[in-house]
Amino acid sequence: MSDALIVARGLEKRFGPVRALRGLDLEVRAGATLAVIGPNGAGKSTLLRLLSGLTRPSGGALRVGREGGDRRSRRGRVGLIAHASFLYPALTARENLTLAGRLYGVADPAGRADALLAEQGLTGVAERRAGGLSRGTSQRLSIARGLVHDPEIVLLDEPFAGLDPPAAARLAERMGALRTAHRTVVLVTHDLARAAEFADQTLLLVRGQSVPLPSPAVRDAAALERYYREAVE
Amino acid sequence: MNVFLAVLRKDLLTEWRSRDRLVAMGVFALIVVIVLYFAAPPGVGSEQRAHVPGLLWVAYVFAAVLGLNRAFALEIENEALSGLALVPADRGWIFLGKAAASLLLLLIIQAGAALVFALAFDVAIGPVALPFAAVAFLGALGLCSVGTLFAAIAVRTTFREVMLPLLLLPLMVPVLLGSVHATNALLQEGTLPWSSIQLLIVTDAVFLIVSFISFEYVLDD
Repeated sequence: MSDALIVARGLEKRFGPVRALRGLDLEVRAGATLAVIGPNGAGKSTLLRLLSGLTRPSGGALRVGREGGDRRSRRGRVGLIAHASFLYPALTARENLTLAGRLYGVADPAGRADALLAEQGLTGVAERRAGGLSRGTSQRLSIARGLVHDPEIVLLDEPFAGLDPPAAARLAERMGALRTAHRTVVLVTHDLARAAEFADQTLLLVRGQSVPLPSPAVRDAAALERYYREAVE
Repeated sequence: MNVFLAVLRKDLLTEWRSRDRLVAMGVFALIVVIVLYFAAPPGVGSEQRAHVPGLLWVAYVFAAVLGLNRAFALEIENEALSGLALVPADRGWIFLGKAAASLLLLLIIQAGAALVFALAFDVAIGPVALPFAAVAFLGALGLCSVGTLFAAIAVRTTFREVMLPLLLLPLMVPVLLGSVHATNALLQEGTLPWSSIQLLIVTDAVFLIVSFISFEYVLDD
């Protein structure tokens, strides 16, 4: 597949005796949204950490981005929005985003921070310290942080967790905007309805292995749940 | 370079707001001075003074260990260290930013502790203040360079408070040899031994280069 932006071949990740990923093959097209589903401990978050460059594969091959390149350049292409927020509690919302902008070499970190705060509806809490924000507000700030350098590939680990309905709707809207902007998205979720709603491709992981699905993308949430249950049980 | 400045600024700003590292290091250094002052036998002023360089560096090293552990404790909350590890730059700049912040804080503690030691043990640091500051800086640089590397390793282990001194102190022998010897010569004879300075410069350079390069791998999961 010539336009694949993420290619994994026989990807392995071991933590001591534990094999978190076992020979995973994967191709994600540029501009596509891949939903990664599976039970706890299936290797979903490990896959995101490999894609982001936070950790190295134990075996197999992995290319992220068209040119491949080293892990440093890969880190610049991806934006990771993980379980943890990566925020500094002692810094304000604006300072956290400005810091992230500086770290990623954004041309106008303060301006970019303000734009992202407005986009996430966080302008009102811009001067509040991150440590004092609610779970949902922190999550929105964390999403803004992950997008500060306008990454080509966006990796999301359970992004809807902890969000109230308006914030979830805003995130869904933002994901639509990422699709329009032709960004490649990898969405790890336990929410099968969200997976069916957003995915152009679906990856079902069980015990570190990919479980074949009838079609690359399962758009029917009920069918997806049925395949999921069959694979897990 | 931007990453270096951003990390340095962030560490100093968070410390300015909490002051937990400075207070912890300062109180610890003060307690060491008080304990050593009351533990020393009375009426043997010159003998006491001969031990001052060693005692001073005991306070410096343990205050530094305390500060270095705290430097990475703030990176553990919300997995901020992983956020730093994702930055598309040489991770050595992250190391330099964190090491520079720790160095600045340690230099403040060193100045305060030296003043208290001078008063408590009746030692005249004033006439040799500049060369003394140079020795303290070189010693602190050695402590903070390899200390930052090991603090980043230790912070992800179960026994991180214990792990850092276990990893750090054996490697600190050349830094402490050079620093204590130079401080002793300064306070006793008013001269700066070139051999000790050479030892400190070479050790600091090796520690800085090795830590800069190794940090890329230390921040991996």
